Amino acid sequence: MLEFRNIYFSYTGRRDTIEVLRDVSFDCSENEIVAVIGPSGCGKSTLLNLATGLRKPTSGEVLIDGKPVHDADPRLGMLFQQSTLLPWRSVVENVELGLEIRGEPKGSRRQKAIALMRQYGLAGFERKYPHALSGGMQKRAALAQTLAIEPKVLLLDEPFAALDAQTRVVIQNDVVKTCRAGRRSMVIVTHDISEALSMADRVVVLSRRPATVKEIYVVPFSLEAESVADAPAMPGFADYYKRIWNALDISIGGMSMVA
Amino acid sequence: MRDIVKQRLLVNFGRLLVLLAILGGTELGIRYGVLSRLFFSSPSEIFLAFKMQWAKGSFLRDLSITVFETLLGLVAGSVAGMAAGLGLPQLRFTSHVIEPFLMVLNGIPVIVIAPLFILWLGLGLASKVGISIYIVFFAMFIPVYTSSLRLDPTLVDALRVMGASRAQIFWKVIVPSSMPSVYTGLKIGSGLALIGAVIGEFVASRVGLGHMILYASGTLDTPSLYLGIIAIAIFAALLSLAVDALGPLLVPYRFSDEK
Repeated sequence: MLEFRNIYFSYTGRRDTIEVLRDVSFDCSENEIVAVIGPSGCGKSTLLNLATGLRKPTSGEVLIDGKPVHDADPRLGMLFQQSTLLPWRSVVENVELGLEIRGEPKGSRRQKAIALMRQYGLAGFERKYPHALSGGMQKRAALAQTLAIEPKVLLLDEPFAALDAQTRVVIQNDVVKTCRAGRRSMVIVTHDISEALSMADRVVVLSRRPATVKEIYVVPFSLEAESVADAPAMPGFADYYKRIWNALDISIGGMSMVA
Repeated sequence: MRDIVKQRLLVNFGRLLVLLAILGGTELGIRYGVLSRLFFSSPSEIFLAFKMQWAKGSFLRDLSITVFETLLGLVAGSVAGMAAGLGLPQLRFTSHVIEPFLMVLNGIPVIVIAPLFILWLGLGLASKVGISIYIVFFAMFIPVYTSSLRLDPTLVDALRVMGASRAQIFWKVIVPSSMPSVYTGLKIGSGLALIGAVIGEFVASRVGLGHMILYASGTLDTPSLYLGIIAIAIFAALLSLAVDALGPLLVPYRFSDEK
């Protein structure tokens, strides 16, 4: 289980100190998917960087199973918004990168990578370079790379923003299945309300900067929907969509939209 | 498909015509007194000069010395430029301190600094190689240094999350990501290496193609002057072809067909 406990984060800019996160607390249990949604620039991604140990909170702690995370924590895997596949490595060499870094011998890491690629529909593309793959396939390769090290907690930072609508749904579905199958904890940061509602069991809504937890919604239909594509048709989806929209307090044309 | 082949044949045929026109034109022009023997030379006269220089044993010596200076300057200058371009960004403070000095050094025209190298390293090979290294260094250093500074930080973050050490990030991300710049550096550097060697020979020397050209010019030996220019032109073209052939080895992913 992943837990954010009383996280404060601020950094010192040119003139003054900027407070990004103020007393943010929430958790994500085993086999649970939590979406974090908030206005752009509110510090959603910072939250994930704190979880990976890339940055340290000003105060508060991030815990996995009650123990603080540390830099390069092997219990964590992260999928980034941009492609992080190394363009000079073949796809299979990219997928096995995490294992290579951990010093796993060549034979066994190659075997694992090939098996994962087959599982994610990438068989036959092992020797290709990433640029030869479509956007969706690149994302699946990045997912396979993240999962190769078998993290307990999966962090996703707006990972599907650059994909076209159909591909996005297919990959969202893959990710949800992967997460459930491995009984993993997953935190996905997004600005897309539909994505949050389609994938997550709970949705954490952050406020504007300094971000605080404004609201946490339990999505009642997350486990009932057969696939991510079915979620928007579930009863209550539209209602939740509106409630989250209002909580986000986004103004359109200078006016706050009130349902 | 057949049209492309036909087109290519036509282009090559056209090139052959241009070459024949230049050779035939100068040959006839000199023979019938249309072109001055002082300013121009015919292929047969240049070939005669070649036979004479070859018989003396001086042509082969001059050519091999210039080739040697150029290749040594290219290799040593490139290695030094690469090492500095990759290493300096790792030492943030040092690189900040010395960056302006390097930029000023890079701005000095090589012809201005050449006499200094002659003073330091003498009239022999060392000064020519030194000048060549000096300009090749900057041709390699500048693109590699800039590319290291502009490295996508997400790639580094992704590797850090996977647990990569600083050394692993250096060898698995920073070095391979600089390969396109190394290739650029080699392309520019190969031309400059030759310029450096010949400029050194112009300033002060007893052997080399630069010396041969200068001597021919001083003694109004126009055919030998052209011989020197043609020898340098052919060597420069071969060197450039050789560097182009390194492209698929240094950046194979840029040369793979599938996009």
